[in-house]
Amino acid sequence: MATAHGRDRGGLEREVLACLAAAGRPLTAADVLADLDGGLAYTTVMTTLARLHAKHALTREPDGRAYAYSLAGDEQAAQASLTAFRMRRLLDRDTDRAGVLARFVADLSPEDERLLTDLLAEDGAGHSPGVAT
Amino acid sequence: MTPIVATPFLVSGLLWLTGAHVGRRLPPAAAAVLLTTLALVTALATGLVLSLAGFLWLAQVPQVARVGHWSSVVLRSDTWLPGVTGALAGLCALGLLLAALWRAGRAVQAIVIAARACRRLNPAVGDLVVIEDLEPMAYAVPGFSGRIVVSTAMLRTLSSVERRALLAHEAAHLRYRHHVYTQLTDVAAAANPLLRPLRAAVGLAVERWADEAAAAETGDRRLVARALARAGVARSRARPAQLAVALAAADTNLAVRIRALLDPSPQHRRLALGFVVALTACCVLAAGVAAQGAHDRLETAQATYHHPG
Repeated sequence: MATAHGRDRGGLEREVLACLAAAGRPLTAADVLADLDGGLAYTTVMTTLARLHAKHALTREPDGRAYAYSLAGDEQAAQASLTAFRMRRLLDRDTDRAGVLARFVADLSPEDERLLTDLLAEDGAGHSPGVAT
Repeated sequence: MTPIVATPFLVSGLLWLTGAHVGRRLPPAAAAVLLTTLALVTALATGLVLSLAGFLWLAQVPQVARVGHWSSVVLRSDTWLPGVTGALAGLCALGLLLAALWRAGRAVQAIVIAARACRRLNPAVGDLVVIEDLEPMAYAVPGFSGRIVVSTAMLRTLSSVERRALLAHEAAHLRYRHHVYTQLTDVAAAANPLLRPLRAAVGLAVERWADEAAAAETGDRRLVARALARAGVARSRARPAQLAVALAAADTNLAVRIRALLDPSPQHRRLALGFVVALTACCVLAAGVAAQGAHDRLETAQATYHHPG
C-alpha cells in the first residue's frame, strides 16, 4: 500500500508514461519520482521504468550512474497520430457518431471559461503544471 | 383498453419536464443506470401502446377480421379510442420504430468505427495512446480493448497529480462501458422524442461517474475539479472561438461537474430514487394492462365471430 499508493500496476505505468510524454525530454527515475505523487518509493518507479523499457514502450540511455528514459516513438506512433486525427475530426463534426467517444472536457462557453479561470486563481499557486526538474 | 394505457405518455411528459433535474439529484452511477433503464422501458411502453392501438384499428377492417376469425363489429363497439386515433397511433408507432432502428444502426456503426480505431491506435503501454499534438485533448475510445488517447499538449497543461486524475477518469469510462448507457438512451429518445432531455442527463451522469471514480482513485475531489478546470481553460484557449461557441451547448456541463466535485451535498436522493423507480414501475404496469386489454378484446371478438355461410 505504501509503495503502490492506491494505484494498480496498469495505472502506474500510464502515469509514468504520461509523465515522460509531458516532459518531452529524457528523465531519470529520480526525475520521474520527483514529478509523481510523493507516496511512491524510488524502487517502484525504477521497476516500472524497467518494465516499460522491457515492453519496448521506452528507450533509455546512460545518464551518469543511472538511465534516462524517453518514449519510444516509431512508425506505429505515426499511424496512431493519423487515426487520432481522424477521431478528432469525427468528434468535431459528427455528433451522432461522436457519442461513443468520451472526452475529458468538451468546449467551453466564454462565461464558463471565466468561471473556471477564477476557480484556478482562487485555488492558489503551488500546483503549477509541468515537470519538476 | 382503459385510460391507464395513457400512463407511459404522462411519464414521458414528466420526464421531458424533470429528466435533467432528477438526474442531478441521484448519485452518478445510479443516475446513469436508472435513467437509461427508465428511458428504455418508457420508450418500449409508449411504442407498445401505440402499436396496439394501431393494431386494434387495423383489426376492425372487415377483410382483416375475416382472416383473423374475429368480429369486427364487436371490436368496434368495444373501442376506447375513436377510429381515426387508432390509425394515427399506428402510423406514429411505425414512424418511431423506423427512427429508433435508424438510430440503433448509427450506434452500431459508431461502435464499429471505434473498435476499428482501437486496433489502429497502438498504445505506448496498456491502453494509453499519447499523440504529439498542440491541441489539448483527451478522450476514451471504447472497444474490446479500449484506448485512452491523450495529446502531449494536454499532458503538459496538467500537473502530475492532475494527469493521474485525467487518466483515472478516462479509464473509468472504459471500465464501466459508459458509451453503452449514452447510446441506449439515444435509441430510446429516437423511439420517443419526449425522452430527449434524458440524453443530456445520462451524458452528464456518466461524466460525473467518471469524475467520482477519479476522485476515489486520487482521494482528492478538489484535485479532480482543478484538473477539469485547467483542461477546459487550456482547451478553449487553443481552439478557434467560433467553433467553441458552436459547441458551447455541449458543455455547460463542465461547470456543473466542477461544482458537484467541490460541493458534494446530495439532497433529496431518496425522493429522486423513488420517483424514478415509481415511473419505471408505472410504465411496466401500463404496458402489461395494455397488452392484456388488447388480448381480452380480441378474445371476446373471436368468441362472437360468426363464420360466414
